[in-house]
Amino acid sequence: MKRATFLRGAAAMAAAATVSSCSSEGSGNKSSGKSDNWEIPQKDPTATITVVGQRAKSGTSGMDPVLKAFHKAHPTITVKYQQIPFKNLNSVLASRITDKTGNPDVFWTDQPRVAAYATKGYLADLTDQFGDLTSALVPTTVDACKFQGKLWSLPLGNSSQVLYYNPALLEKAGVKPPSADPAKRITWQQLAKDAKRVQDKGGAKYGMLFGQPNRYYQLEPLPASDGGGIGAKGKHNLTVDVNNPQWVETMNFYGSLFDKKISPKSITPEQTGPTFIAGHTGYFWHTQNWVTWITEQAKFEWGGGLTPVWEGGTPYTPTGSWGIGLNPYSKNKEAAAIFMKWLAIDGVGGFGKSMEWSIMPANKKGVEKYLASEPYTGSAGGKAAAKIIDYESKNTAQARVATVGYVEFETLIEEAFSDISNGTDAKKALDTAQQKITSAWKKYQ
Amino acid sequence: MEKVPVKTNRAGEAAPGASPSKRTRGSRMARSQLRTAVIFLAPAVLAIALLRLLPFGEAVWDTLFKSEGFGVLAEEKFAGLENYVTLFTDVSFLQTLGRTVVFNLIINPLQIALAMAVSVLMTRKMFGRGLWRTAVFLPSTIPLVGSSVAWGIALRPDGPVNALLGLFGIGSQPFFTSSHQALASIILVASWIGIGHWMIFLIGGLNSVNQELYEAASIDGANGWRTFWSLTVPLMRRPLLFVLVADTVANFVLFVPMQMLTNGGPENSTTVLMFDVYQRTYTFSEPHIGAAATVVLTVIMIIIVSIQFRLLGERDK
Amino acid sequence: MTVLLTILAVAVSVLFVLPAVWMLFGSLAPGNSVISNVSPLSWHTLIPRKWTLSNYRELFGALGFLRPMFNSLFVTFASVAIGLALSAPAAYALAVVRFRGREVIFSLLVIGFMIPFEAIAIPLAHVFTDWNLDNTYVALILPGIGNGLAIFNMRQSFLGVPASLREAAVIDGASDFRILSRIYIPLNGTTMINSGLLIFMGQWTAYLWPLLIVSSDSKQIAAVALARTYTSSLFDFGQLFAAALVISIVPAVVLFVLQRHFSISIATSGER
Repeated sequence: MKRATFLRGAAAMAAAATVSSCSSEGSGNKSSGKSDNWEIPQKDPTATITVVGQRAKSGTSGMDPVLKAFHKAHPTITVKYQQIPFKNLNSVLASRITDKTGNPDVFWTDQPRVAAYATKGYLADLTDQFGDLTSALVPTTVDACKFQGKLWSLPLGNSSQVLYYNPALLEKAGVKPPSADPAKRITWQQLAKDAKRVQDKGGAKYGMLFGQPNRYYQLEPLPASDGGGIGAKGKHNLTVDVNNPQWVETMNFYGSLFDKKISPKSITPEQTGPTFIAGHTGYFWHTQNWVTWITEQAKFEWGGGLTPVWEGGTPYTPTGSWGIGLNPYSKNKEAAAIFMKWLAIDGVGGFGKSMEWSIMPANKKGVEKYLASEPYTGSAGGKAAAKIIDYESKNTAQARVATVGYVEFETLIEEAFSDISNGTDAKKALDTAQQKITSAWKKYQ
Repeated sequence: MEKVPVKTNRAGEAAPGASPSKRTRGSRMARSQLRTAVIFLAPAVLAIALLRLLPFGEAVWDTLFKSEGFGVLAEEKFAGLENYVTLFTDVSFLQTLGRTVVFNLIINPLQIALAMAVSVLMTRKMFGRGLWRTAVFLPSTIPLVGSSVAWGIALRPDGPVNALLGLFGIGSQPFFTSSHQALASIILVASWIGIGHWMIFLIGGLNSVNQELYEAASIDGANGWRTFWSLTVPLMRRPLLFVLVADTVANFVLFVPMQMLTNGGPENSTTVLMFDVYQRTYTFSEPHIGAAATVVLTVIMIIIVSIQFRLLGERDK
Repeated sequence: MTVLLTILAVAVSVLFVLPAVWMLFGSLAPGNSVISNVSPLSWHTLIPRKWTLSNYRELFGALGFLRPMFNSLFVTFASVAIGLALSAPAAYALAVVRFRGREVIFSLLVIGFMIPFEAIAIPLAHVFTDWNLDNTYVALILPGIGNGLAIFNMRQSFLGVPASLREAAVIDGASDFRILSRIYIPLNGTTMINSGLLIFMGQWTAYLWPLLIVSSDSKQIAAVALARTYTSSLFDFGQLFAAALVISIVPAVVLFVLQRHFSISIATSGER
C-alpha cells in the first residue's frame, strides 16, 4: 500500500492533464531502471549530463581542469558539475535520486557507503558494462565498490597513511625517528613514549596529532592491528563487534593519549594539518594527501615513517576514498558511462591526469604517475612517503567495514571515539556504541 | 491538530449587536468584516497552508507507516502507532526529551532577560548608539557555519578563551569536551547569536512605550528598578509575548551549533530533540521515526507556547 | 550620565563583536595561519603576522562569490517585499477585524511557524520538482513569503493601535485597505522594519532548501557558496571566515541604516 501524498498527487494530476506522464506516482515498488540493457557506446552521443560531488569546482584542487580536459576529449558531451558539501551529500541524494528525475546522472560515492546506496536503489548496477574493465584499478578499491558480488561504483581515489614527524623536535628530545623500513616498524606503545618525550624534552607543544581524531577511518587500524577486527562480522557484516577486549584495550590507549595531554582534545580534523605545519607538533599521522600540503607550506624539513603496529599484532593501515556511481534513473546512461570511464579508467584516468597532486588515484597507472610527481621526489620526506605508500597499499591496507548499515555504524562509533578522547571510560563508551549500533541495525536484519 | 488557546484583545472595540434594534445592522457589518478578513488573510494563509501545514500534515500521516526495504525500493506498510511506541520505549529518547525541556527552560529566560537588559541600555541617550546596536546585532548575521567554527576554536581547552581566563587566574575549562559543560557552552554560543536578534524587537517595543508615563513615574519618585517592573514590563507585554514565543520556537528547533560543535556529545549531553530528528531523518534514513519525533517536538512546543500565551496574553478589560 | 552609558554600551559591544573581529583578522591572514596562531596566546592570536587580501581575492575571483551574493540579495529582497505585502493585511485582519474563526486561523499560523522546515524539506522539494520549479528563483522565494512569525509580530503591534482611530476613519468612509495603508502601517514603522528583518534573516540564512532545490550554479545562493569554501580533504579557515563576514555585512548594514528609523511610535501613547 502506497501512501497518497496530496501535494504530489495534485502535481501529477496537473501533469497528466497536459501530457500523459509515464513516470506515474503510486506504482510503488518498481525495480527501477536496473534491468534495462545498455552498453558503453563506441561513438560519443551528444548529451548533457549532471554530476554531483563533494569536490570544489574551482580554486586549488578544483574540478574545473578535469572538466576542461574531458570536454577536449569528448566535445559532444557537456558535463554540468555541482559541488555539495560532504555533510549534506546524503540529504541531497536522498532528495534528488528519490524524485526519480534522473538528476544528477552521476554522483560521488564514498567507498564505504556503496553497500548502503546499493541497498537503497540509489546506484545502477555497473557489472555488465564495467566488470571487465576493472583490471586497470587497484584491487582493494574495486572490492570496496562491490556489494553482494556486483559492481556498483567505479573507484576514483585511494588513500594511505604516513606518520609525519618534525625531525628538529625529535632530535632535540633525542628520539629516534620512526622508520620507513617495514622490518623496523615501531609500535603504538613506543610512539606514545616517544611522543611524550618529544613534548617533555623536545619542547613540542603537542606530542602527536591524529590527522582525523575520532574518525572511524583513522582509528580502525588500532583494534584491527591488535586482532580485534574492524567493527562488524557475520553475515553481510551485520553483527556489531566493537566492544571485544582488543577494541577496549586499543581505545583505552587512544583515550590515554588525550588524558596524558600528548594529543590535544577538541581539535577537529580540519585543524590538525595547519597545527602540525605551524611546527610545534612532534608526530602527525594522516593520509598521504598531506605530503603535498606540508611540502608546500611547512617551514621545516619533515620526515615520514610507517604507521605503527600494535605490540604483538599485525600492521594495518586504513585505505579507500571516493568513487563515482550512476543514478539508475539517469536518462543519459551512455554519455554518463563515457564520462565515468574516462575519469576512472582510460589511460591513467582523467581524474589522475588532471589533478595529479590532490588525491591518490585508484587507477594503477595513475598511482605510478602520482608517486613520481614533485612532492614525492623533491625531498627526503617525500621520497620516504612514496616508498611507504607503495608498501602499505599493497600489504597492510584494510578497507572500512562493508555493510549496508555503514552510515549508522560510522556515526555512532565516532560518537564513542569522541567520548573516549574526552575522558569517558573506553569500555563504557564501546558498550554503549555496541548497543546503539545493534539497535540501529535492527531494520536490516 | 491541537489548537493554541488564544486570547485576543477585545478591549476598545465596540460590542456589536448590543441591543435588538441594532441586530440587522450588526449582521450586515459582520458580513462585511468577514469579507475583509477573507480577502486580507487568504494570500498569507494559502502560502502557509500549502508550504507548511499541508506538508506537515502529510508528515504526521507518515508517522503511521513504516518502510519495508530502503530508499527508492522501500514499500510503505501501515503500522499504526508503532513508531511512537518505538520512541517512547527508548530510554535515550526519553532522556533527550528531558534534556530538551531543561535546555529550553534555561536558555529562553536567559536570552530574553539579557536581550531586555541590552535593549534598555541601547534605548538610552548616548553617543553612537546605532553603531553599538549594530555591533550587538552582528553575531546573528554571521552564518552559523562560520561562527560555530570560530567558537569551536575559541573554546578549545588550549584555546584563546582559556588563555584569557588564565590571565585572571581562572583554571582551564573543558567547555565542549566535558559532558557537564558542553550544553552550557552551547547556550553561550547560541546566546551570543540570539541576544542581538531579539534585542531588535525589544527596542521596537521599548520605543513604543509612552514616555510621558516615565516622566510621571520619575516625578512620583519611583526609582529605575521599580519603574522597570511596574511600568515597562506591563507595557511591554505584547512585544514580550512575541519575543518569548519566537525565541522559544527558535531554540526548540535549534540544532546546527550542536551538529557543528559537539555532534550531540560528549555522552549525548548536547543531543536535543531537533538534533535527534535531523539525525534520524537524514543520517539514519528513518524518515517515519524522524517524523514521529518531529510530531512529539511540535506537540511540546504547542503546549509550552499555549502556556506562554496564557501568562502574557492580553486580558479582557 | 551619557558618557557613562556610552562606555557601558561600548563594553557590551566589544563582548559581542570580539569573536567577529578575530574572524575578520583571520580572514586577512594568509591561508590557515589563523589556526597555527591559536595557541599559545599572544598578540598574533588576534593580529595577523602578515596581512593579505588573498582570501577575498580568491573568494570573488576563482570561487565566484559575486553571483551567489547577487542571487541571495535578489531572493531576499523579493521575499521581504512579497512577504510584507502578504503579512500586513493578514496581521490587520487578525488584530482588528472581528470575524468567526479568527482565533482558529491565528492558532494555525502560530503552529505554522513552529514546524521545523527540515522535517518537510524533502517531500516539499519533490513537489517543487514535480512542478518543474527546481532551479528557479520562484522556488527559492516561495517558502520565505508565508511567514507566520512576521504576521504574529505585526499583529502584536497592531493590537496597540487605539480602536478609536479606525472608528473615526470608518465614519469618514475609509476602506479597510486604506485604514491599513494610511494608519496602521505608518504608525507601526518599527514593527514593519522588524518584520521585514525577520523575513530577511530567514531567507538570507536559508541553507538546506537552496541546497535541495537548486542544482544549477547560476541560481545558487551565498550560504551554500560559503559551505563550498571547504571540502572534506581541504579546509581553508581564512576563506571560510572571509565568506562568512561578507555574508554578514549585508544584514548588518541594513540594520545600521534602518535602526535610525526606530522611532518613538505614537500608536500606543494614548492607549486607554
